[in-house]
Amino acid sequence: MSMLRGFLILVLFFILGESMRVLLALPVSGGVLGMVAITFTLMVKGSVSDDLALASQGLISVLVLLIMPGVVGVFFTADQFSGQWLAVAVALLAGTFLSVLTTLVLMKLVTAGGVEHDE
Amino acid sequence: MTSDLFTRFQGLLETLAVTPILAIGLTLGAFLAGNWLFARIGRPLWLPPVLLSACLLSGVIAILAVDYQDYQQGALWLTVLLGPATVALGIPLYQQMHHIRAMWRPIVVTLPIAATMAAVYAVVIGWAFGATPEVLASLAPKSVTAPIAIGITEQLGGSVPLMMGGLLITGVVATLFVDLLARLLPVRDERILGFALGLNGHAVGTARAFEISHTAGAFASLGMGLTGVFTALVLPLVFRL
Repeated sequence: MSMLRGFLILVLFFILGESMRVLLALPVSGGVLGMVAITFTLMVKGSVSDDLALASQGLISVLVLLIMPGVVGVFFTADQFSGQWLAVAVALLAGTFLSVLTTLVLMKLVTAGGVEHDE
Repeated sequence: MTSDLFTRFQGLLETLAVTPILAIGLTLGAFLAGNWLFARIGRPLWLPPVLLSACLLSGVIAILAVDYQDYQQGALWLTVLLGPATVALGIPLYQQMHHIRAMWRPIVVTLPIAATMAAVYAVVIGWAFGATPEVLASLAPKSVTAPIAIGITEQLGGSVPLMMGGLLITGVVATLFVDLLARLLPVRDERILGFALGLNGHAVGTARAFEISHTAGAFASLGMGLTGVFTALVLPLVFRL
């Protein structure tokens, strides 16, 4: 029961997010708006209920299950993108290498320069 | 005789495909089988359970000759839960708020640049190699966690299946590159490694970070959540230009 109560809260925040997206014509998905809304609500409230923590843990642990139908699609729509595989492969491999390098170097530089003064 | 049985078998598949139960059963079965196989072969870094499960599932769908559109229709019962699951990411984000406060300066400086560059590198390289706008729109959110990335790709006019494939590969290679570059640079701070894993490798990287330590995992969730929100807010606006 408690997991269902938590799930209901998540569904309500998702509906809230979708309503905001449609009514305010925002270019962001309803799920993200709902996530931002629930984070701020919890910050104001100052605590998270066991029901909600339980339901969110449950959903996050099966995230992979939920995205699988989408992942499988790449095998069945492959011919749509024939001739572009080289571009896709290079963009993914080289792009990810560069972005990981960027993140690590930036974080290293900024933490070396700033953290000691903050503590 | 055999052809009779074959015709009836096709009829059976059609009967089962009327309701979503076949699609749900196949997905659940592949998910659990993938996880089991992953543990059996010693949890290799380069072959995460999601890749194993997806390959198994595609194989079974192809062998049974289930129409992919029918499968997708049935699986909607699972994918519709991605909405509430995205909202659920807000709870760990709230629980790790003290981490964000402690490291707000490096995070505030790094996140916008790194999350933007993650998309820019992929789009520029893809464009240089002659990818179409639809493919570029599918590559742009490659470092964003799936439920958010689906929303972004739909907004940009990309292909969701292609994006999901790219997302998966990005997650796996980001994990490998973080391990490699951490040794070369060198970076030993678990908070930085976790943040880089989550920022670049979304859920796959976050799962790896939790193997390093709990702190790394917390920072990976943070990196994943912030990258998701930042990219979702900024990318559709930038892409329109």
